[in-house]
Amino acid sequence: MVGLSVGEKHFIQGGINQNLRSDGRKRDTYRPIFVETGVIPQANGSARIRMGATEVIASVKAELGRPSALQPDKGKVAIFVDCSPVAEPTFEGRGGEDLSTELSVALQRCLLGGKSGAGAGIDLSSLVVAEGKICWDLYIDGLVVSSDGNLLDALGAAIKAALSNTGIPRVHVTAAASGDEQPEVDISDEEFLQFDTSEVPVIVTLTKVGRHYIVDATSEEESQMSSAISVSINRKGHICGLTKRGGAGIDPSVISDMISVAQYISEQLINKLDSEISAAEADEDES
Amino acid sequence: MREIQLSLNQTQKIRLQKALQKLESLHSKVNSDASVTVADTIPISLEDSILKGHGTAERNGEVVATVCGVVERVNMLVYVRSLRSRFKPEIGDIIVGRVVEVAQKRWKLEINFNQDAVLMLSSMNLPDGIQRRRTAVDELNMRNVFEENDVICAEVRNFQNDGSLQLQARSQKYGKLEKGQLLTVPPYLVKRQKQHFHHLVQYGVDLILGCNGFIWVGEHCDARDTVAEEQLNNTEEQNIKSTRVSENVPLETRRNICRVANAVRVLSTLGFSLTLEVILEAFNLSSTLNLGIDEMLVSEFHVW
Repeated sequence: MVGLSVGEKHFIQGGINQNLRSDGRKRDTYRPIFVETGVIPQANGSARIRMGATEVIASVKAELGRPSALQPDKGKVAIFVDCSPVAEPTFEGRGGEDLSTELSVALQRCLLGGKSGAGAGIDLSSLVVAEGKICWDLYIDGLVVSSDGNLLDALGAAIKAALSNTGIPRVHVTAAASGDEQPEVDISDEEFLQFDTSEVPVIVTLTKVGRHYIVDATSEEESQMSSAISVSINRKGHICGLTKRGGAGIDPSVISDMISVAQYISEQLINKLDSEISAAEADEDES
Repeated sequence: MREIQLSLNQTQKIRLQKALQKLESLHSKVNSDASVTVADTIPISLEDSILKGHGTAERNGEVVATVCGVVERVNMLVYVRSLRSRFKPEIGDIIVGRVVEVAQKRWKLEINFNQDAVLMLSSMNLPDGIQRRRTAVDELNMRNVFEENDVICAEVRNFQNDGSLQLQARSQKYGKLEKGQLLTVPPYLVKRQKQHFHHLVQYGVDLILGCNGFIWVGEHCDARDTVAEEQLNNTEEQNIKSTRVSENVPLETRRNICRVANAVRVLSTLGFSLTLEVILEAFNLSSTLNLGIDEMLVSEFHVW
């Protein structure tokens, strides 16, 4: 990331104060979002999202596994993010690990809820096959291809698109088993269940620069931020997760204000994303 | 035509195809036989003695091209000029660069080239305007003139032994650039012209097209008055500097700056050469529409 001169920093901050950012957007406007689904044919579901110069790919793979003893009626989902050196030279080797862990944890918190599974954005009980014995394990992987700010929002949107593209094979339990034995299963190659993503939340990140908040910051604007809040909100307007980044402290009233701004923005974002995702799926079906 | 890095839906793709065909039909009359791709034979008449220049090689007694480009002939020299190449600086080019290092008696600038350019302290006007020998005090005060990450406009003075550039910024129109934004475009889109400094009077915007692909769009600044400013002592100087920078750019000028910057972005995505006329045309077209880049895709209908 190149540095910015004092004059450029003032220009960016002045623009945010006057509600006119460097590329002409208002404070609450997203960059144009382009969605492409089915980019990885070997995965159960995948999607590529481009927001301006930020590009991320998400893929979903499903495997059969055992549910944990504490929650026998729920499947398991694991989210990992990898920052590719293609995005930034500093991500080479172990350089990108900090950012990857931070993004993975934030995504898990926003989409999966707490350890007890409460408040999860993704409905885990739909992943169970035989209670206590077999469930689906979803491995969601995100790859950052190009980084120009606002990675968390892009990854959240990519995961939502990938999940809506996911087809989980239908499983028939052929032999009932007792005790600890694993029942035999027959995984069909033909029939697929589409994952229901109407409840999956989107993530809206609000970056605080000076006294104003902006949505969808570019990496130049992010370098000027004092703090940022990422809220994951679902279609009903409920908050599924909350993450704060950045070194500056925020007054609690400001946080409530930021959350209500995020709720307002998330409605438009959800509608926009849904239309883009369905357009992308239609494109994919044609080709 | 090369791949354009835009995601377009069906109707936009069709419009882009139509516009590209229109452009090609206008230009197909002009020197279509002069463009070659790799391993094409270059037609030469065997009587003349030919000097084989860049981008050519001899194979089986024929001269073939090694790069894709246009064949140029100058007297006896035949060479192939490639269309998309790295920035090739020449003496007298206007360059916009960013300071990466303050070294002994010089500043090192990053200019989108394979090496950093050097701006010597002796190639800068001193604050008090007198032509004198640079002393040690001047060296210590280099940071007051330019710091790290400052954006500077300068001119190429000559090449050094190792191929890196030496710059000079002696005239009043060169110097530090503030109150604006820096855009990066592929360098081959900025052709060499008479004027690289454009002052758009009716919008109050400065547009500097650096030959290295860095384009500065900012609020108009009159010729630098660093002379007057630095004649004051240090504390006053700090105050004046900070007030000058932190004066907010007025909203109307900011709108124009953003619109010009977006025009440049769209033109560079579509692969147009950046000249003042094209940028202004894109600007005027977009003035009738909204400012979002999506709407500015309509400028693909522009045939210049």
